[in-house]
Amino acid sequence: MADVAEATERTPVSTIEKPQDIPAEWQPNVLAFACHYCAFAAADLAGVMRLSYPPNVKIIRLPCTGKLDHIHVLRAFERGIDGVFVAG
Amino acid sequence: MKSGSNLEKVIASGKMAVTAELGPPMSADPHEVVKKAGILKGFCDAANITDCQTAVVRISSIAAAVIALREGLEPVMQMTCRDRNRIAMQADLLGAAALGLKNCLCIAGDHQKFSAAGKLKGHPGAKNVYDVDTCQLVGIMKKMRDEGLQQGGDKLEVAPKFFIGASWTPMGDPMDFRPYNLKKKVDSGADFIQTQGIYDMDLFRSQMEKARNLGLHERTAILAGIIVPKSAMMLKYMDSSVAGVTVPKPLIDRMNKAKEAAGDDKKKMRELQEQEGIKITVELIQQALEIPGIKGVHIQAIEWETAMEPIVKAAGLYPRPTFDA
Amino acid sequence: MIVGQQKPFDEIWSMVRDFKKVLVYGCNTCVAICHAGGGKEAEILASMLRMKAAQEGVDMQVDSAAIERHCEPEFFEPLDEKVRTYDLVLSPACGVGVNFLADRLAGAIPVYPGINTSFYGGVPEAGFFVELCGGCGNCILHLTGGICPIVRCSKSLMNGPCGGTNNGKCEVSDQTDCAWYLIVERMKKLGTLEKLLEVQPPRDWSTGTHGGPRRVSLEHIRAYEEKEEKNAATEGK
Repeated sequence: MADVAEATERTPVSTIEKPQDIPAEWQPNVLAFACHYCAFAAADLAGVMRLSYPPNVKIIRLPCTGKLDHIHVLRAFERGIDGVFVAG
Repeated sequence: MKSGSNLEKVIASGKMAVTAELGPPMSADPHEVVKKAGILKGFCDAANITDCQTAVVRISSIAAAVIALREGLEPVMQMTCRDRNRIAMQADLLGAAALGLKNCLCIAGDHQKFSAAGKLKGHPGAKNVYDVDTCQLVGIMKKMRDEGLQQGGDKLEVAPKFFIGASWTPMGDPMDFRPYNLKKKVDSGADFIQTQGIYDMDLFRSQMEKARNLGLHERTAILAGIIVPKSAMMLKYMDSSVAGVTVPKPLIDRMNKAKEAAGDDKKKMRELQEQEGIKITVELIQQALEIPGIKGVHIQAIEWETAMEPIVKAAGLYPRPTFDA
Repeated sequence: MIVGQQKPFDEIWSMVRDFKKVLVYGCNTCVAICHAGGGKEAEILASMLRMKAAQEGVDMQVDSAAIERHCEPEFFEPLDEKVRTYDLVLSPACGVGVNFLADRLAGAIPVYPGINTSFYGGVPEAGFFVELCGGCGNCILHLTGGICPIVRCSKSLMNGPCGGTNNGKCEVSDQTDCAWYLIVERMKKLGTLEKLLEVQPPRDWSTGTHGGPRRVSLEHIRAYEEKEEKNAATEGK
């Protein structure tokens, strides 16, 4: 039962911003959740083909997008991500 | 005599009974009741005073019934199971009897969500009661009258003497159970029954046959309900939306024909349909009265009380019998 | 099971906005099955509240936790101390859970409801819950083919259908089956329709919510527990 206390979830709130006007040069931080077997493989292939994609997109590989839970998306937003992209 | 009401006397005399309906207004003004009572008086043996019908607040049935009584129209007070628990019911029955009321019709009552089929705001968020159901209310009233006891067992010094009624929807689902539904109301002590509006006489005839096979026509007075049709639209609405009512197509066609005969004249359209409606009503009454076991008719001319006179006269039910007090 | 639905987010926010340290404390039994207040939903709700607080410029710490059951004391024990460090517990457990925890915390900190507890129901298909029992304390399902007229009939009628049955549906809504239609059809299949012919007398509702708060006390179990506790105390000496 020792780890029950650790199950208490706490996330720092510092990265969440108040609504504000969007600066002209602003670029969103996008997080892509990609399935290992299709979308992530496609991203790999793009790399091999030396195709480029914007640097403000970060990819997280999942064994399957079925693994993606609501809280993963919410946590991404809480930590300053502006858009979430799910591919699988 | 159980109650000595005029309605009971007519039924006991073996003559066909005629009851009407009087809907109290959504107003504290008694004149509407007085006016309607004046129109109905002489053309029925008693008139039902509805109890917040369609789950909308109106002058209470008991108060409006007393106003009608003062005008010389015998009322049938109604009591729904929706708004009162058994304490309030019995208190109101004692009060109603003390005020001189002698007939009471027991009904479940439209659910509070009904709110005049959504035409009015009503009180859909109200808490309903349904402490007892219709059969149980009939039983309570009978126990008060015949045993001088409250439902809880306490004694009544003077028992309220009501002629007890209940409603019956002979053509509602599940249809094969409906005759048994009637039996339960009769077993509970219903002296008279008023049915839901009937247009499909063939179907009603077969339901009546089942009721007769159970011997119910000998234990209670069944009055066939007839709702006076005003327009083709009303008939279509009742056929599609009113529970337990089916309207045969030929009747709707007749009404449509009357409507079409008026051409574009709106006033004439209404008049011709109303004339046809009265004709249809008279025919339905005559057919109903021929069914073995039927002891009268309950004619509902909803918000059209003036139709009662021509209907009752044309049906050969005028004048109404009178009795020496 | 007990079925509930999460309260609208704005209502929850208006309840919690003035607190500095909030614990969203889920229950992993019934309310987890109806996706209203299990650990997962507590976590999501906490995250949404954190984001809302940040957007509104409110300084608030919101954490989440969940235990298996909110209606028995032993499940609470491991987290008891931690819970008391918060200003508010927002409980998406059923009303039983909220009451139980509030009694346990005895006024030390408030416990607010995160869901509306709806009814005792079943789950005929995923994501669909229906009310099937009213907990009236005096079951008559043997007389009605296993279909409860108290909660499945909109008027709780005991002696058959009212005049509002239309094509087997209730007058309240054409989405609602008429319970008495179902009862009659079921009793026909069971060959026990004659049971419905008996007039049911007025009910004694005092066994339901109309007789004051109810309790069930199993004396033999309570006596045994007491004895065990005494034995343990003697052995300890």
